[in-house]
Amino acid sequence: MSLILCRQEPVKHPYYFEGLGVRLYSSQELCYVIYNNPLLVMEGFVDNALIDFIRDDLDMAFLALKLVKWQQSGEDGDELLALILHECDYYNGAEVSRFRQKLSSYRRMPEAEFLKERADYLFSRKQYGKSAAEYQKILDLPKGSRGSEVFQAKIYNNLGASYARLFMTDKAYLAYQKSFDLVKSSEVLKRICHLSQWNPGLVISERLKVLITEELLQESGQDRKEAEEKAEQADSLLELDKLFQKDPIKRFQGAGELVQKWKQEYRNIMS
Amino acid sequence: MDGLIIGLDLCDAYTRICCHDREKSWCIPTVICRKKDEDAWYVGEEAYAYTLVGEGIIVDKLIKMVRKEGTATLGGIKYEGLNLLTMFLKKILKLPMEEFFCEEVKQLVVTLQKADAKIMDALMYCGDALGIPRERIHIVSHTEAFVYYVLSQKKEVWSNQVGVFDLSEDSFHYHELKVQRGLRKMMVIAEDEALEESFNLDILDTPSGGKLADKILSSCADRLLQKKLFSSLFLTGKGFERHDWAPDSMKLLCHRRKVFMEPELFARGAAIRGMDYLQEKSAYPFICICEGRLHSTVSMRVLHKERESQLVVAAAGDNWYESKSSVDLIVDNQDYVEFMVTPMDPKQKRLIKIDLEGFPKRPGRTTRLGISFGFLDEKTMAVVLKDKGFGELFPASDTIIRQEVML
Repeated sequence: MSLILCRQEPVKHPYYFEGLGVRLYSSQELCYVIYNNPLLVMEGFVDNALIDFIRDDLDMAFLALKLVKWQQSGEDGDELLALILHECDYYNGAEVSRFRQKLSSYRRMPEAEFLKERADYLFSRKQYGKSAAEYQKILDLPKGSRGSEVFQAKIYNNLGASYARLFMTDKAYLAYQKSFDLVKSSEVLKRICHLSQWNPGLVISERLKVLITEELLQESGQDRKEAEEKAEQADSLLELDKLFQKDPIKRFQGAGELVQKWKQEYRNIMS
Repeated sequence: MDGLIIGLDLCDAYTRICCHDREKSWCIPTVICRKKDEDAWYVGEEAYAYTLVGEGIIVDKLIKMVRKEGTATLGGIKYEGLNLLTMFLKKILKLPMEEFFCEEVKQLVVTLQKADAKIMDALMYCGDALGIPRERIHIVSHTEAFVYYVLSQKKEVWSNQVGVFDLSEDSFHYHELKVQRGLRKMMVIAEDEALEESFNLDILDTPSGGKLADKILSSCADRLLQKKLFSSLFLTGKGFERHDWAPDSMKLLCHRRKVFMEPELFARGAAIRGMDYLQEKSAYPFICICEGRLHSTVSMRVLHKERESQLVVAAAGDNWYESKSSVDLIVDNQDYVEFMVTPMDPKQKRLIKIDLEGFPKRPGRTTRLGISFGFLDEKTMAVVLKDKGFGELFPASDTIIRQEVML
């Protein structure tokens, strides 16, 4: 329990962190995203734009110079990240050490597993466009590096889920189909069933049509109904109700802020 | 000369003006008069003159009027006390400007018997109306002006205690200062006492009244000065412009003590203070504890470079009116802030806790807390705590906590 004294940082041009689709306005925010999103910063995060931001906006010329020198001398990229955490006085020494250990544990992973970790993380952050691209990278690896058939089935399944959330039902169907072909999972079949109900125009192969039983269709319909009921009770809807009960000025202002938030979320999902 | 450093002793009866490094001074009755048939304004003796001949309408007790947000109707027009004070100040500031052929005010230090927030705000407003930038205007108490005046004298004048009797039309005050030499910094502790024995100066015009006044002063001096070692004593105010009425008191006051008559002591002290404001390094490196200055230090325990330290937000001896600060802190798993208030006697230090009520629940270290401090008077600190969020990651809410803390 403590209060951390903040540096005065004259940030005029916030740093845009593409990984999360947010702008960063302080050294504390920069440290926070590095520490909490290691998978998103492990490759090429420390670049000229970031160094310019550290030097000009955070007014940390010494750190910027150190980063440039370390980069030029071919220093390990992970050490550059640890250096930023260390210099910004937001995380303590023990926490920076833990961060280093986390990075090295990721580095020890086989490439396909590491990419999956990253793609899963992006998916969990609702960055479906980016997660789809990451899953695709695994499938583009040489055959021997793609992992077992079970692993590949999981990748196809997750790729399908990403496409589905991007409303690309055709691509989602193809990914689910490949996953099903590999492991014949009933869960995957159920997802195909969901897709077909969601998009009745979807063309499903005869081979799979046969497997979608009446019972499965009913089960899928029930799931959908439950999901719709749950959605009606969502907190965001309750907030919206509250907003519409406010006076016109506050309602208008709140609606503007909400639409802006939705737009940002949508951009992040699709990017 | 590239600007005047003006010391202005503003009282309800008289106003004294002097400039740093200039001998000439002015003592003007604090009155303003408007001519009955035209929009012409006069101050001081001129105002009395126009009123006596029946050409003008006079307004006095301007400070009291401003404090009470009062108004005066002159020639059918209602004027606010604040506007009358502004006009009065404009007129009297012209005196040194014309005398020394200088239009610019480099520093204006106003000294008041009692400097409360209302009159201080009003004087700042007057400064705005007169086109004097706020950073050039300062308001200090009589006690503080006395401290600066005394400490600008030779050391032998203030090596022990120093006292001043201020006898004016509407009050009788005694101020006393003591210099304490500390290991790190010198400290000056000055106090002010409004004497209940104040009397109307008109009684000094009769022999019996003079005798009574002499008795009053003697008894006050006897009570206030006994068993103390004084380096010097000062006498100031309209009542001491002549002292033939006080033979017994003078005998008592001058016994083994140096006594100085200084009619414009407070205005001179204010001008010296004004000069010091302009110095990069103060010529008076001491902590001054007196009316108008904070008597306690307020600090917070913060983490900086992984070390705990006390962040001083206001130090004892700071001018409370000018003591304003703000700081941003990151809250790490705690739902309150604590201030340490350390008075002159460190044994009496205490912690004041303010809960961050209504602040959104967020993960640790993702709430930036903006804290602003200011003072409503020397014993009341106003704190504003604002949720600044954590950038776009955790947007700020509208939560603001305002609290007054008694020091």
